[in-house]
Amino acid sequence: MSIEVKNLIKRFDEKTVIDNISFKVDSGEILAIVGFSGSGKSTVLKLICGLIEKDGGEITTSGDIAMVFQYSALIDSLNVADNISFALRERKDLRKKYTEAQIRQIVREKLALVGLSGVENKFPSELSGGMQKRVSFARAIVTSPNIILYDEPTAGLDPVSSTLIEDYIVRLKEETHAASIVVTHQMSTIMRTADKIIMLYNGKVVFTGTPQDLMRQDTPYTKQFVTASLDGPMKMLQG
Amino acid sequence: MREFTLKSTITYKVYRQLLIILEDFLSTIGDIVIYAGKVISFIFKRELAWKEIIYQCARFGVSSLPITLSIVGMSSVIVAMQVAGEMVKQGAGNFVGMLVAILVVREAGIIMSGFAIISMIGSSIASEIATMRVTEQIDAIRVLKVDPIRYLFVPRVLSGILMMPPVLVVSSLVGIVGGGIASHLASGLSYRAFFESVWSGLFIKDMNVALLKAVVFGFTIALISCVCGYNAKGGAKGVGEATTKAVVWSFVGIVLWDLLFSIIFFF
Ligand SMILES: Nc1ncnc2c1ncn2[C@@H]1O[C@H](COP(=O)(O)OP(=O)(O)O)[C@@H](O)[C@H]1O
Ligand SMILES: [Mg+2]
Repeated sequence: MSIEVKNLIKRFDEKTVIDNISFKVDSGEILAIVGFSGSGKSTVLKLICGLIEKDGGEITTSGDIAMVFQYSALIDSLNVADNISFALRERKDLRKKYTEAQIRQIVREKLALVGLSGVENKFPSELSGGMQKRVSFARAIVTSPNIILYDEPTAGLDPVSSTLIEDYIVRLKEETHAASIVVTHQMSTIMRTADKIIMLYNGKVVFTGTPQDLMRQDTPYTKQFVTASLDGPMKMLQG
Repeated sequence: MREFTLKSTITYKVYRQLLIILEDFLSTIGDIVIYAGKVISFIFKRELAWKEIIYQCARFGVSSLPITLSIVGMSSVIVAMQVAGEMVKQGAGNFVGMLVAILVVREAGIIMSGFAIISMIGSSIASEIATMRVTEQIDAIRVLKVDPIRYLFVPRVLSGILMMPPVLVVSSLVGIVGGGIASHLASGLSYRAFFESVWSGLFIKDMNVALLKAVVFGFTIALISCVCGYNAKGGAKGVGEATTKAVVWSFVGIVLWDLLFSIIFFF
């Protein structure tokens, strides 16, 4: 077991944003968390990686956690190589563990893994959105994490770049055997990466199943989600 | 008709707004104290990001010198122009240099440098860190298990502590020389007369206090700017608000320090 979430609760002010949700993700498995904007998907990831504190429930994780942010969140004053090697140079338990030559080698390997090479000295602002995203993948896996969290990895990318990113998500899972969570509302990403799915609405789990279960559209929630309909149990523009 | 409730009264709204402002004020002070402690503890533990420190120091020097030199230089030129003519007429030409030196070393040099550094360095620290906050770069740093205080705050605060004194020394020198040139041009006072009297206006104690102030001001400006940037919320608007707050708080901060120094050392 790599991630286990039990009866998780999170409130912002008086509003309950995560309302008693539970799920498990094994190593080598990809869970997709889907749902419309504001349903609490990013909040779940931030709770798992410890960026925010939970108000109730349990989160059990084993090993190192990496997170890939929606807008890449590369440090814009550092070049690609320094972004990727950031944890190796600055993290307390890793500092001084590697020589410069080793760090350069690791950076080259991780870049190759996401299909990039020769961009070490470029700054994030000189790269396209899809390339920034891939650099942020390389940065996330530099410490060989056991858990990888992706927040909307394909949002805002063109279809071909999306496909490429989806392939890398699957490939990184195979290479690292990590437990992964992909937050998305893009059908292609769900279908191409997920082993299983949970759907959130107003902080509650309203569907659990496989991509095939989702496509069967045999619940009001899955039907509304797959057909992207305004009619259904999930109301937009709430709160 | 609108329902009348306590919450809809003007008094309640004003009162509530004041409470929010007071809460923000107190929590900012609390944050400044807490982060000051963390930064100082990293410095004493020598847990330093050296590459970043060197880069920040270089950035501090390069970007602050032109504006600091201009502002301190011009202030003392203005003062010299105002007083030199009158003093020479009254037969006190021999004291112009002394007056300019005392003024620059005791007050004008440090306070004008402080204001210049706030506008140049403080605002850029605050907006940079605020941008990192709203674009999740700080979250990314935290998820990579790197302490943002060690990586972001400490190098900037150290650059303030280490660079403000040399910047002050250079700008004060430029100010005094500028005062001499201005006195000469405005009232024909000889350079010799000016600079000979400068010596009698330079006191070791004044210079030591000025250097101490430089260290304290550099620390204060950099720290306040880091804290305001770090606490930024929201998008572009949040970055703007954080920067404004950093500038205002830094101004108030160094003026308060200046007052305290005056009371301690010259009262
Ligand atoms: N830091 C915060 N403070 C207050 N409310 C928040 C905060 N973060 C998220 N929320 C609220 O929590 C809800 C879920 O947000 P989020 O997890 O970002 O949704 P999603 O990622 O599914 O779009 C939203 O209503 C949002 O406004
Ligand atoms: Mg989100």
